Amino acid sequence: MSAAAPLPVAALGIARLRLAIVLVVLAAWEALSASGLLFRDVIPSLLKIGAALGKLLASADFYGNLGVTAGEISVALLIGGTAGLAVGIALGANRFLSQAFESLLLYLGPTPKIIFFPVMIMWFGVGPGSKVAMGVLSCFFPVAISAAAGMRQIDRVLIRVGRSFRATTWQMVTKIYLHAMREPIINGVRLGLGVAIVGTLLAETKLSNRGLGYLVIQAYALFDMPKMYALVIVLFVLSIGVNVAIGRLGRGVGTK
Amino acid sequence: MLNSDASAPAANALLAVEHVSKHFPTPEGVVTAVEDFSFSVKAGEFVSIIGPSGCGKSTLFNIIGGLLGGYEGRVSVDGATVSGTHPSIGMVFQEESTFPWRTVLDNVAFPLEIAGMDKAGRQERAAHFVALVGLQGFERRLPAELSGGMRQRVAIARTLASQPRILLMDEPFAALDEQTRLLLGDKVLQIQQELKQTTLLITHNLTEAVQLSDRVLVMTYRPGRLKRIVDIDLPHPRDSEVVSSEAFGHRVAEIWHDLREEASRGIAADEARVLRGGHRP
Ligand SMILES: Nc1ncnc2c1ncn2[C@@H]1O[C@H](COP(=O)(O)OP(=O)(O)O)[C@@H](O)[C@H]1O
Ligand SMILES: [Mg+2]
Repeated sequence: MSAAAPLPVAALGIARLRLAIVLVVLAAWEALSASGLLFRDVIPSLLKIGAALGKLLASADFYGNLGVTAGEISVALLIGGTAGLAVGIALGANRFLSQAFESLLLYLGPTPKIIFFPVMIMWFGVGPGSKVAMGVLSCFFPVAISAAAGMRQIDRVLIRVGRSFRATTWQMVTKIYLHAMREPIINGVRLGLGVAIVGTLLAETKLSNRGLGYLVIQAYALFDMPKMYALVIVLFVLSIGVNVAIGRLGRGVGTK
Repeated sequence: MLNSDASAPAANALLAVEHVSKHFPTPEGVVTAVEDFSFSVKAGEFVSIIGPSGCGKSTLFNIIGGLLGGYEGRVSVDGATVSGTHPSIGMVFQEESTFPWRTVLDNVAFPLEIAGMDKAGRQERAAHFVALVGLQGFERRLPAELSGGMRQRVAIARTLASQPRILLMDEPFAALDEQTRLLLGDKVLQIQQELKQTTLLITHNLTEAVQLSDRVLVMTYRPGRLKRIVDIDLPHPRDSEVVSSEAFGHRVAEIWHDLREEASRGIAADEARVLRGGHRP
């Protein structure tokens, strides 16, 4: 087709390259699986993984556990996000509070939250409670840090307008702060959701009795490698989906 | 010299400012921004305060509006001391102050929302004030779609919608070009006459002060004191045409005589600061 414009040709080339890479990886996997070089079943054949994936997606058990994990992450985001927002606004609004506590927030933010997991298990049990707690711990910090920074970049005169009309603190928050901080808040929630997913799944794979992380570890313990790989593939696809969705959300905000 | 009515407020004063002083502690020592400032505004009057940049105008504005505390002296409305923000006083700020996420109508309805007015009532009142500043047809637009002059009209309409007894404005036209400024001045004067709106305008613009005011208070530079009160007895209605009249020229010359000295001191102080290597506070 000589009439094709140069750009679609390039796009087509990229698509072909991607497809080629995937095929090479799959072929290498299959070859490794057939060669028997590694311990039997550590690298199951693609056929087996495909079958396990089909079985997984057809089982009610999978959807029950998916629901549990999704529920844990949602609740964690709701609690951690709200708490982070409240703390961030308070720190951003009050110089004294920010000097007293903000460095703490900045130091605690990047520490691996998984070290608190034993404590959370003692407090909230082996079930979803401790997973939610881990998710809350994870997403609280990025939301609080971006909200505090967002508060400080609000145009001061808008705050003075609110005060001059004698707005209450609640009115200031709902009618001015939250709108003026829309972008930093959405960014904080994006980061928060990402780490809430990590925190929750990590906790589930450590010690749990429900959820997708639990299924992965169960498959590992029973040495059901095809199922384990099937679960990993599902989690991988779901994470990509969530990230794409949040990316869309962020872009929607940017253009408004 | 000071007029005799300067320190004791007139009995029928709506707004009275008595012996107000404000000091700011800074690394370079205490700055006295306003010193022993007294004046009063009667109901329906249009009074301007004029002074060079940095003389303490915004400080006075924030004190009267109740956004700045820790001053000496007294501010009162109808004889009652005011501390903090007061529903009788509506402020219009020097900076761009419309809410960018609200439409023109919703910006103007903001104070009514804060006061808890029902939706139908505030939409109606907001629409009235949007029309009053000449922005009918733009109700559903966002501030970003408007010009600077239109946005400042939204800010004025928003403050008027709260129906303050005293309209207090801090250099509301400072960011606008001269033509827009003159035309907007006409608009403000027309509204002021229509609503009999008591207005206190803070400005550094001579023409603006003389065109709009019944009285002009001239402020000194550092510390900001009241230097002189000039009555502007030009007939109403005035529009920007008055700017070219002879009587207008006389008033401007009279005030410039006083202002010139203060402005020169302001410039000299700036130069000295630069030479000392200090920063603009
Ligand atoms: N918060 C503050 N801290 C220290 N100095 C201030 C503060 N606000 C104003 N000043 C000083 O007070 C003087 C008057 O300022 P301002 O009232 O803003 O003047 P104007 O509005 O007439 O330009 C200036 O010299 C300014 O530097
Ligand atoms: Mg000023």
